[in-house]
Amino acid sequence: MNVSADIEQFILSELTQGRGITEIDASENLLSKGIVDSHVVMELVGFLEQRYGIAVGDGDLSPENFESVASIEAFVGRKRNGQT
Amino acid sequence: MLMELLYQSASSRPDDVALVYRDERVTHAELLDRAERLAAGLAAEGIGPGDAVALLLPNDPTFVAGYYAISGLGGVVVPVNPAFKQDELEFYFRECDVRAVISDDRGAGVCERIVAGWDEPAQVIATSAAHGQALTVDMLMQAEPAKLDKRSAEEPVVYMFSSGSTGRPKRVARTHGQVRGESEYYAWMGIAPEDKIFCTIPLFHTYGMGCCMLAATRTAATLVMLEDPNPFLLRRQRALELLEAEGVTIYPGVPFNFRLMAEAPASADLSSVRLAFSAGTALPRPFFDAFLDKFGVPVRQLYGCTEAGTLTANLDEDPVATFASVGQPVEGVEVLIEDEDGRIVPPLTVGEIAVKSPGLTSGYSDMEELNRQAFRDGFFLSGDLGQLDEEGRLTITGRKKLLIEVGGYKVDPIEVEDVVVAHPKVAEAVVVGVETKVQGEELIKAVVVPNDELDERDLIGFCQQRLANFKVPQVVEFREEIPKSPLGKILRKYLI
Repeated sequence: MNVSADIEQFILSELTQGRGITEIDASENLLSKGIVDSHVVMELVGFLEQRYGIAVGDGDLSPENFESVASIEAFVGRKRNGQT
Repeated sequence: MLMELLYQSASSRPDDVALVYRDERVTHAELLDRAERLAAGLAAEGIGPGDAVALLLPNDPTFVAGYYAISGLGGVVVPVNPAFKQDELEFYFRECDVRAVISDDRGAGVCERIVAGWDEPAQVIATSAAHGQALTVDMLMQAEPAKLDKRSAEEPVVYMFSSGSTGRPKRVARTHGQVRGESEYYAWMGIAPEDKIFCTIPLFHTYGMGCCMLAATRTAATLVMLEDPNPFLLRRQRALELLEAEGVTIYPGVPFNFRLMAEAPASADLSSVRLAFSAGTALPRPFFDAFLDKFGVPVRQLYGCTEAGTLTANLDEDPVATFASVGQPVEGVEVLIEDEDGRIVPPLTVGEIAVKSPGLTSGYSDMEELNRQAFRDGFFLSGDLGQLDEEGRLTITGRKKLLIEVGGYKVDPIEVEDVVVAHPKVAEAVVVGVETKVQGEELIKAVVVPNDELDERDLIGFCQQRLANFKVPQVVEFREEIPKSPLGKILRKYLI
């Protein structure tokens, strides 16, 4: 499973139950749709840290890194390449 | 009656900015025009006096225009948390017998599914036609604006819901006179047309409705709305930028906001902020100190409740010395402390907080027994514990009701228990709040006696389908039995 599909699967199975959401477009805005809210954002961060062996710092916590599956994938890619 | 606030601000300051939202600046006159157009559009769809209309919207100009439009028509506004799941929304809609729902894109589909099976039709009005909705806010606003009639002080204008005691939230109706009465506090507090009020707390909540929306409209101040404030962890930098760029003067927030801003990697110049308020739950001293150290702004505590709106505010000259106090009652509000027998206790003695206020509801809808217990001689027994000092400052010390504090929300454990025990593999369950390493914030833990093999994720998923995320247990503990006293009372202290 590629990173994008992996992230989408996590969001669908863990964060969106009860909303009737069965798929997420990679560019869909997870923040404005309330899929990633204050109560699940740290769950998502924990998943990324554990799954990809990255450390998410305070400075990484911006909407640009988490607003869509595509932006999360790009963020994970940067972290794995040692970029900030 | 409430709409008069908007007529006054549009008349006294027509060209001043009422709302800042993204790149949009809406003047008081434009806000009035939007409210009148929307009211005319709603009236054309058959909405009239006494009809309940739900607002399932984020903080944005449509929420504000919608609120005043419905109130101006004599309808009853039902502000609802957009994070609610289908079952929760249906409960609120049915309790209020809503005739229409104004929803943004993400909620419109769920609302249509809910009302589709109703005998009495209810309309879903979407903020756009993105998902093929037949009726949109833009369509309604094509109507010609018309001045709205005055409403009487006794007419209900808003239905909100209060948690605690009963499992299901209790409906609180407040009238034009009561909400208008609350609006006067904000002028008394010295909020003026030159002020800019920052809005990150939800307008569907009493605190946001009062301290942000009513305060701004009553005083013709500007409401600076942070778009998409959640998750605040990701939005704190934008919040800091907006506070500085707009020269915000008043900031009502919750402890969670102030902590995250104090911990943010970047800083901002918040020297324009003359009043920062914290409410919803007690402000821990470390958060107060961290915010003061970083930004030079002391956060003052404020106290209110769904039943009455704002009640007290710490407006002391030296808020550092009295940081733990939620302040003295605002003008027109009386606060008493009572013992278990209903006798008033002397200063510095802890008891239950009783309040009397022009903003106070007349009681919970359809709950006579509870009303007899909670409303007495014009006072409301809040269920909170506290004490008054010699100068009449109130300090909250605890509460009688079982509630769990989660990120500024109060969660009724009984409501969560009702969902947990509905799982077919749960024989018995108790839900408790567990302190986290962050002072003042709790985790929701479900202690469960299963009657079959049950997986934690399965149970959490079951709850996620039925409850808003902030009510879902984060931890499940399996036990063979729930500890109880000889009389069968659950011993919650052994579950925390």
